[in-house]
Amino acid sequence: MTNIVEAKSLRKNYGNFTALDGVDLTIPKGAISGLIGPNGAGKTTTLKALIGLCDVEGELIVAGQDPRVSRHKLMENVCFIADVGILPKWLKVSSVIDYVEAVHPRFDRKKVEKFLSTTDIPANKRIKNLSKGMVTQLHLALVMAIDVELLVLDEPTLGLDIIYRKEFYDRLLNDFYDENRTIIVSTHQVEEIETLLSHLVFINKGKIVLDSLMSDLPSIYTEVLVDADKIAQADSLQPINVRELLGKKSYTYESVPIEQLEVLGELRTPSVADLFVAKLKEEKHG
Amino acid sequence: MKGLILGSRYRLLVVTLIIYMGFLVAEGMIIGREARAKKCVGFCFEFDSADLEEIWKRRNGNENIGVELESMGDV
Amino acid sequence: MDKFAVLQFYGLLKREVLEHQNLFIGAPAVVASLLLVACTWVATQVDQSQLAELLRYVPVMSDGLSIFELAPFFMLLAIPFILTLYICSVIYLTNTLYQDRKEMSVLFWQSMPVSNLKTVLSKVFVIVFVVPGFYVLIIFATYLITMAWLTILGINNDVDLVGIGYMFLAAIASLVLIYISIIVTSLWLLPSIGWLLLFSAFAKKTPLLWAGGVLILVGFLEDFIFGTQFLANWIASRTSDPRQYLIFDFQSVFERVFNYDTLFGVVVGGILITGAVFMRRFTD
Repeated sequence: MTNIVEAKSLRKNYGNFTALDGVDLTIPKGAISGLIGPNGAGKTTTLKALIGLCDVEGELIVAGQDPRVSRHKLMENVCFIADVGILPKWLKVSSVIDYVEAVHPRFDRKKVEKFLSTTDIPANKRIKNLSKGMVTQLHLALVMAIDVELLVLDEPTLGLDIIYRKEFYDRLLNDFYDENRTIIVSTHQVEEIETLLSHLVFINKGKIVLDSLMSDLPSIYTEVLVDADKIAQADSLQPINVRELLGKKSYTYESVPIEQLEVLGELRTPSVADLFVAKLKEEKHG
Repeated sequence: MKGLILGSRYRLLVVTLIIYMGFLVAEGMIIGREARAKKCVGFCFEFDSADLEEIWKRRNGNENIGVELESMGDV
Repeated sequence: MDKFAVLQFYGLLKREVLEHQNLFIGAPAVVASLLLVACTWVATQVDQSQLAELLRYVPVMSDGLSIFELAPFFMLLAIPFILTLYICSVIYLTNTLYQDRKEMSVLFWQSMPVSNLKTVLSKVFVIVFVVPGFYVLIIFATYLITMAWLTILGINNDVDLVGIGYMFLAAIASLVLIYISIIVTSLWLLPSIGWLLLFSAFAKKTPLLWAGGVLILVGFLEDFIFGTQFLANWIASRTSDPRQYLIFDFQSVFERVFNYDTLFGVVVGGILITGAVFMRRFTD
């Protein structure tokens, strides 16, 4: 199996609101995949569907299983960290470790204790008395101590300060990730993770707008800082976005041959953030 | 069908309640459980306002009000 | 049975006890404290010699009776605890599948490889088998403290302690009867357990109001649409006799468990619990 996630025509409605509108998604095994989208785009619904916490229509296979049929079996091989603080507030740190050790067959207590020994989290403190950063550290410690194929992270660093955010991703990459594991992360803070990603998915209004390996992006998308006398020519090539940059106009193109763009001005590959904005504006203007 | 029932918490609740009531009604019919609730006996359930007027008239001419009430039914 | 499955189930039970310590241990401890304080106050109002005289009379009262024949008396003394257990059970069952959705920790619980079936069954197991055990232990502690005090009173007043010792054995026997009685009653009340769990899993707010309101509504609809009252009559038949809630001798246990009404109730309770298991998939 080369893909950890294979989804076709996923649909989900909440009353009159369409959260997912025919989502097709393929995530290769071993990827660090970023799911980027504005508020209400369908990121959380997609991630919840992948781990069986949300019923959707369509075909869906995650790590070889349909999450709607055998969620608890799937969760032996998948871990999830949500955007809200979901660790039970009434539990003590030591009790939550005891609980995960009891219920998860792939949990290694020594790993979590080793991780926590490098933090300031005391074992006998209740989770409600920990700071938000500590709660995330604890949850990450628990997750990293479980030997799983897939880690799903829904805005895991939301509301954390820069120190905790950096430490989160450093630990994730250095102590957890290897080529046999896949990470799917959704976030608003695109700039923070774009250097980590190997696979990129944009979602907007319940539809997938972009689904590409990071390595393919330079050959598909080009940003051109257009010389003032080439504006008309630049416009004729149907850019997906135009913006002002340092007194010049910057045009973003999709699948336009480099030879046609070279004559317009200075070329570069757009950042993920700029590409994200460009694709959303393209969607907006049709 | 399964997706239809399990797709909404309200549909699931209604189906569960229908199955629950179906079992109760079927069992009740099979074993011959009383289909109507047992009639409540007692002063309050058999009270008729006309009796009150009667009592009031008689009271003015008769001190034995307890006897009047007892004659109306089980108290 | 798979050792990991057993350890996993034990982990689930431990979680329930840790989460609801106030209901399972705190509440009966408070009842025990209040009873002991009340007894102490009564004892201070009564002349010690009169109490001692009463103690001397104990062997006479229990003469010819076995400890199992005396046990029902001590069961009656445990009624405050049993009532507390039923109230706490209603609170627990109503909140257990609702509270973790309200505070979003359901996303953590469901991110673990534990099926909804195991989750719900662990809650039924806890309330039927585990919680009565805690209550019985606290009743035992209450009896122990009381017996210790009576022993001291007896020693100070030259009362023969054999009678007190015999009563203590009867109290211990009553604990076994109480525990079995609660379990058998829980099987009898399985439809109620299932009903509360179903609405605990269903309701987005005020699960107890939903549970009560829908029960009334269903009864009303049955009468309005079909002109029958099977639901009302069935409930009445299961709640009308107080003897359904206490077992006073071991001989009647088998008869109480393996009779048609209990077993039918288990089936109906099973339907409602199954509904709760499927309802658990809705995490909002």
